[in-house]
Amino acid sequence: MIKRALTVACIGVVAASCVHAAAWVKGYVVAFYDPAFRYGGRADYSRGAEIEPGVDCPHGSTTHFAIPAQVAESLSLVPWRTPKEVEALAHPSAAGLNRDRDGVYYATWRAASAYRGYNRDIETYINPFAAEDPGQPEVTSRIGEGFNLDGKIKPEDFVSPDGEKGIDNQLYRAWGCDAPWRGANGNGTLVLRSNDKMLEGLYTVVVRISGNKDPMNDDDATLEIGYSPDQIMKDARGNVGVDYSYRILKSGQYTKLKARIKDGVVETEQADIHMPEIAWFANQLRDAFFRQGKIRVVPNSDGTAAGLVGGYRDFRDLYTQNVFAQDGGQQGVREHEDHVALYYALRRHADGMLNARTGRYDGISSAYRMKLVPVFVVDPDKPMDIPVRDDTMRRTKAFDETAAAMIRAVDTLIPQEVPPGSGEAAVGRGGVPIPRGRGRIPANQARNNDDKVK
Amino acid sequence: MKLCIVFGILGCVALAAGQADSPMVPPAGPGVFTTKPLGQGTFRLVVTGHTFTSRSAIEKYLAYRAAQLTIEQGGQWFTFKEDRAKGETAVPAPARDPEGPRYSFRMKYFRPVWRYKANGSPAWTRWSPFSGEPFISVDPKSITDFEVSAEIVVHKGPMDDANPLAYEPWALSDLLVNQVSPPK
Repeated sequence: MIKRALTVACIGVVAASCVHAAAWVKGYVVAFYDPAFRYGGRADYSRGAEIEPGVDCPHGSTTHFAIPAQVAESLSLVPWRTPKEVEALAHPSAAGLNRDRDGVYYATWRAASAYRGYNRDIETYINPFAAEDPGQPEVTSRIGEGFNLDGKIKPEDFVSPDGEKGIDNQLYRAWGCDAPWRGANGNGTLVLRSNDKMLEGLYTVVVRISGNKDPMNDDDATLEIGYSPDQIMKDARGNVGVDYSYRILKSGQYTKLKARIKDGVVETEQADIHMPEIAWFANQLRDAFFRQGKIRVVPNSDGTAAGLVGGYRDFRDLYTQNVFAQDGGQQGVREHEDHVALYYALRRHADGMLNARTGRYDGISSAYRMKLVPVFVVDPDKPMDIPVRDDTMRRTKAFDETAAAMIRAVDTLIPQEVPPGSGEAAVGRGGVPIPRGRGRIPANQARNNDDKVK
Repeated sequence: MKLCIVFGILGCVALAAGQADSPMVPPAGPGVFTTKPLGQGTFRLVVTGHTFTSRSAIEKYLAYRAAQLTIEQGGQWFTFKEDRAKGETAVPAPARDPEGPRYSFRMKYFRPVWRYKANGSPAWTRWSPFSGEPFISVDPKSITDFEVSAEIVVHKGPMDDANPLAYEPWALSDLLVNQVSPPK
């Protein structure tokens, strides 16, 4: 009897241990991806001309290039503009019949904003250091999402919504009030735009978590994150569908990390992370490189999960990614953001990647949210790299060359020219609008035309 | 030994090439720029010259030197102390704005005080940006000596960016490095 009981018990233990030791794998596709900016206010609240004041930004979102008074103030910082000229640019004449569908404000402000350097030949978005700081409203609250990347608790750090101190997310401090990235439930204009593009097939990010113990408690798990060549699939209601299969590419936008799982919450080791960057144009598709990065995945009861990725990002990557998809003036006027102000805010709050040569920080702590939908994540049949889209190569090249010029400019402090084909060439030298319909004029040609005008 | 010399020469060439790629502000002549410590982190900076070029050019040079001094002192930011004599209230002091936009610097509030000698007069004439008087009204060509001064306090740690008189030295230096040269 005792023998029999012992045998049964042994079988039970072996069976139980077999269950716990079974290899397991979970897959997710990123269904929403945005900077971890915490709004904390009521979307239906309004006070005068202020936009959605929340607990983060006492005066709401940025209003750069939204009203003539503010444009006048920004342009008054340009040393070669006369006060009369500034007034005229801030209040462009609406006399006569203006048939330009973009409107006079858009065309004038877009052009004028692109030349604010200490002399009239310096293009501002490629050379932001050469313009005066127009000022950026910044996050003043103390609550923020992210990770304690440096293991310290400093005065400028945030406290996470669940009470963890020492949260390093200075990107939120610097850019958290920037209009296109701020809002309740991800309703910032560029948050919506980039996610729409992702859901419509611009790019796909997948996560695969695997282990050999209990999926709820495993101290030796693995998390992989990377680009998938497969377009996000939707269900009949237009939501991201569950249980579709996606390939994960071991490309330049792929990272494999050790992870620990406790009560279902996955937390990776701290290491460099490569994964797709937030993009809304094909020419922006590139690697988001997080130094000393970390990922957390918290499961929800419905099978979805909330992901958070954080780490130090190179401020030059963040700046160029945000400004050069089209051109800085266009995006600034449309989105009510000023990239010169954003540049200074990034540099002011940079807190990582100390550059030994300059003694300055090149990195800024950051965190991004990901809504994860359960799917199957598989390896491709054959190793493959991220597909190159022939139709966007020209624009990608122009983007890369414009970004390289900006990086060279801020690294050497020698103002750089607008590369041929760059979106920045859409504005004539000295901030002169180029009429629509004439096509994009290469920088050198725009310069010649402008010289002729003079 | 030969190899060391070759590497040494190559190193010098590389260094020279690197320097040629970076903008440089020419060194100031003797006595053009002076700095005097006044106490804990506080300095008085003075730029003097004999050939007046423009108010903006000379004040920018002083601002550039303030930024450089802050960096040399290991500071992360500095504050500009307004030198207001009694009754110089025509131009109001900028107020703190804890909820307003943040700036790395605001050139418009870098307002040093001037004094100058003109038309062969041995006496100094003071001009304050806070007096409400227009800037030096005499013919600039008649100015034989000028002196522009500022008092700054060098700080460490995160910048008090609600203070309108706070300046981030790297950002200021980056903006000005291509624009300034010492007066003569």
